[in-house]
Amino acid sequence: MLSKKELVSLLEIGVATGADFAELFFEDTKSSVIRVVTGDVASIDVNNTFGVGVRLIQGVDVVYGYSNDVSYKAIETLLLSLRASFNGPSGSVAPLKEAQSVVSAIKRPPFEVPVAEKNALLVKASNTMKAVDAKIVQAITQLLETEQRILVVNNEGVYQDDIRTYTRYVAMAVAQENGVMQQAYEGPGRFKGFELFEEIDAVAIAEEVAASAIDLLYAQDMESQVMPVVLHNGFGGVIFHEACGHPLEATSVAKGLSPFVGKIGQKIGSDLVTAYDDGDVEGAWGRLSFDDEGKATQKNLLIENGVLKSYLIDYRNARKMKMEPTGSGRRQSYKFAPTSRMNSTYIAPGNDTVEAIIADTKYGLFAKKMGGGTVNPSTGEFNFAVQEGYMIENGVLTKPVRGAMLIGQGKDVLFKIDKVANNLEFGQGMCGSISGSIPVDVGQPTIRVSSMTVGGSGGKQ
Amino acid sequence: MTHPWITLGLKKGLSDIEIFSTRNKTMKLTVYQQSVDEFVQSDVDVTTIRAIYEGRVATIRFENKDDANVDALLDQLIANAQAITLNEPAIIFEGSESYPEATKVPFDFSSVPTAQKIQKLKALEQFILDHEKVKQVQSSVYYEGDLTTTLINSKGLALEDKTTFAYAYASAVFAQGDDIQSAYDIAMMNSFAEFDPKSIAQATIDLGVKKLGGKSLPSKSYPVVFSNKMFANILGVFTTIFSGESANRNLTPLKDKVGQQIAGADIQLIDDPRHPSAFFQSRFDHEGVATLKKQIVKDGVFQGFVHNLKTASMANSAPTGNSFGGGISMTNFYMEPSSTSFDQLLQPIENGVYITDLVGLHAGVKTVSGEFSLQASGFKIEQGKLTTPVKMIVVSGNFFECLNNIKGFASDLYFNMSNIGSPSVWVDALMIGGE
Repeated sequence: MLSKKELVSLLEIGVATGADFAELFFEDTKSSVIRVVTGDVASIDVNNTFGVGVRLIQGVDVVYGYSNDVSYKAIETLLLSLRASFNGPSGSVAPLKEAQSVVSAIKRPPFEVPVAEKNALLVKASNTMKAVDAKIVQAITQLLETEQRILVVNNEGVYQDDIRTYTRYVAMAVAQENGVMQQAYEGPGRFKGFELFEEIDAVAIAEEVAASAIDLLYAQDMESQVMPVVLHNGFGGVIFHEACGHPLEATSVAKGLSPFVGKIGQKIGSDLVTAYDDGDVEGAWGRLSFDDEGKATQKNLLIENGVLKSYLIDYRNARKMKMEPTGSGRRQSYKFAPTSRMNSTYIAPGNDTVEAIIADTKYGLFAKKMGGGTVNPSTGEFNFAVQEGYMIENGVLTKPVRGAMLIGQGKDVLFKIDKVANNLEFGQGMCGSISGSIPVDVGQPTIRVSSMTVGGSGGKQ
Repeated sequence: MTHPWITLGLKKGLSDIEIFSTRNKTMKLTVYQQSVDEFVQSDVDVTTIRAIYEGRVATIRFENKDDANVDALLDQLIANAQAITLNEPAIIFEGSESYPEATKVPFDFSSVPTAQKIQKLKALEQFILDHEKVKQVQSSVYYEGDLTTTLINSKGLALEDKTTFAYAYASAVFAQGDDIQSAYDIAMMNSFAEFDPKSIAQATIDLGVKKLGGKSLPSKSYPVVFSNKMFANILGVFTTIFSGESANRNLTPLKDKVGQQIAGADIQLIDDPRHPSAFFQSRFDHEGVATLKKQIVKDGVFQGFVHNLKTASMANSAPTGNSFGGGISMTNFYMEPSSTSFDQLLQPIENGVYITDLVGLHAGVKTVSGEFSLQASGFKIEQGKLTTPVKMIVVSGNFFECLNNIKGFASDLYFNMSNIGSPSVWVDALMIGGE
């Protein structure tokens, strides 16, 4: 580890030829994946990500370099090469501050828990999943654990370390009958250690996943149509993440491409929509104490009663947009320059109940569990898959349907939200964008969208 | 001389050790509004040690090569191997009898002055900006990579390979009234001379302009033609169904179908590590097995799974040289084209849809069941010709049914960056969700 004196000296080299911002991001991450296949431990793989990312900015132009050689000499060579892009007067380096202390509430750090204890839990869950029904032909459980240690320093005096601890449990079942195979999956995760399992019940989740896979065997293929859609809580929040979250990231806004450019203070959704991106939800999968630029995370109000209040902004885009950063600078690893990203993004709860919303829907789709989605932030077109769905007919859930894909336009869909329930929950996912793949929460209470295009392969004559 | 980590591992009681390393040097330039607004360079080497302890194999992958770190990770590897209960073969490879020669000569992209790369990128951006319907060029990107892979093991195997490549694209936004469309076209290069800003710009403009004014379609079943690029993307997602590990883990419906008809009698699916049109070539896989060409589907009949050493041993077959990145994947997997031109392919279709974009392949596809349901855009096919643009539709179907319902395919074989190749493919009837 380099001393503060050496770090300052490197930052001075960085700003000597015109750069007005220099940053070093050190990372040492250990992660492990344990995979249990139908009751047996099949593999345990360990991964160590280790290196340094160096960023210089002049105005809004950026140069970035990274290497797994973290010696003073190697970083100096990298800086000399990078700074050659800039030409100008020497910048200054402020004295490095004391790091703010990392508040770590991790009770059982992943790599201090005996591997036998982890395996026993995964094996029990896998065996339970398999035993649910003879139609279950595969029962996989996995434990994904990560401990990311970082240090970020810059010429404005930031000197901040952080430890990010993630634990995620995955249960996956495959059911088979008459040559038809269906798969179901759950993957709850937290910014926590092994104490995750005090909060979630791995065995109960395994049973639910097995039951879902079997239900899917008998579900009908969704028929393509335009219809009202009731999106259940938790991972249903992927709709807001895609339709609105990504287009509110400075990455899309700063170049003037997002449909939400210039709309602060304007109505972009129905009165029922209030939404946040919160970087500091205790224990949440998308949480960080400090972002990857060393700034403390915060709770950002994005939309209040349908009115746009804020974007998500990183350091460099703050310069472009002449606005303040929002603690949203994130990156997968030292191999990526940070940019504006989401943490835990959610629609705030309303007053309805899920039962009342379904009862109020004459005909529609109840999307109980969602899969992943995508958005093109410049056109606003988004899509996301439904993992588990049911038809609503005359206010009652009827037959299960599979293979539904929902599409829409970000600027329209928020206006079409006409019901919001009181049952806010989060769902966990990995979000991919230009600064890599990062853990995020999506969240919402159950909501209804008055009309959406639903695709599916059903209805063939 | 034996590698010190092999010596250390053997001393700790490991019976066999394999060290696979990659050294990846990259450079990326981004031009925006005629100036370089991003420049990225990197040099990272990653080591993967796979080793056997008491008959069980475990893997560690690391970037910190410090002796103390490697020592601790090897202890961890031993503890992990001891915790594995599934009884599967653990093999470190002696080596193949011979290895194919590389037919592509690596080009040293770093020898080209950066100024020339910037100049071409600026030209690319300007060509696009000159078009009246272009609202903005979000970024014009040039990327080059120089990858060296080495594999050594305690059985005396020592292999090395080198790959260089570059690509460039510009991501452009087109506007016509309220309608906004974005488009890009990636151009892959084996040498810098292949960097042709004008042709990339033209391809990007052609793509973007044609999309403007697109409308949705009434929901119903249509004959669908997938562009070569889009069918390659679909094939790519479904390659896992041909993996020996998927068969082993009950994750493919093809498990008991070797020797059976799974596609139309004119369908040939092939994995060829050295296909001349493919962008990347590999001489050996990540376990040191020589790569080889094999037919996966021949005249519609499934010939067999692709394997790593473990799954080959469990299936009593020869290794196929398909162990990559800790899993099993194809080298250059493609569907053999026909001699039919694209225009001829469309000719019999009276009222169909030609799909040039698919979005959400990570979410809208279930490989175990074959189901897919994907956001799409493209063009109407009317009386055998492409007519007006179509957008905001969902195309849905089942991959296994598609394989049996292919009515025709063209001669236009295209390999994507992920080493998957396909011609344009006409599938009899698929559901389109729209208005």
